[in-house]
Amino acid sequence: MVGLVLVSHSRTLIEGLRDIVAQFGGDDVRVELAGGTDDGRLGTNAVRITEAIRTILGPDPASSDGAVLLLDFGSAALSVELALEDLTEIERAAVRVPEAPLVEGAFVAGVQASVGASLDEVAAAAESAATMTKLPKD
Amino acid sequence: MAERTLTVIDPAGLHARPAARFVQIANRFGSRILIRHAEREADAKSLIALLGLTIRPGAVITLVADGDDEEAALGALTEELTPYVSQTPTSGAAN
Repeated sequence: MVGLVLVSHSRTLIEGLRDIVAQFGGDDVRVELAGGTDDGRLGTNAVRITEAIRTILGPDPASSDGAVLLLDFGSAALSVELALEDLTEIERAAVRVPEAPLVEGAFVAGVQASVGASLDEVAAAAESAATMTKLPKD
Repeated sequence: MAERTLTVIDPAGLHARPAARFVQIANRFGSRILIRHAEREADAKSLIALLGLTIRPGAVITLVADGDDEEAALGALTEELTPYVSQTPTSGAAN
């Protein structure tokens, strides 16, 4: 099953988001968090993002179902870039970073991951959350 | 091809929780499954497509399944939706 890595300036924010993914996608969906700085302030941390990705990919990334990263904004993107540079080519091939809103993206990606969708399908679901309809048209 | 027509009675419509469960169950079946609502239709196996229908209370929805397990799929999906819908009788439809 594809796993999720949630990246945010705030650890608290993505702890709550992890609860949402578990509630809607189920407890089987694997979620790793990379939020806040090591000393508990707001910020993002490339080293922690790399660790979170590696936890999802496991010891044999070539046979892993992969990881989809969802991030908030600003320097999170820079940290994600740095984290990706640290990965081996095989690890990098098993990671997708969709252009997606963090909350809605994690919600739909979690549900699609839970039904056994592929890495690209989960990433596409997260991406489509950018234009997710919330309010009725009438 | 098999179909069921239902009316959503839950005061919140087909909200996130039942929609997520619905998609999970739909994915267990090989049949192609659609939800039709107000002249639009969505792939029942995609949460984002389903939420995009913004199904509100009172909405009439039609589940359409096509494939070897179409009847089993509609049975399971209708059962899952039981707390949220009423079964609108349709002439000539099998239960």
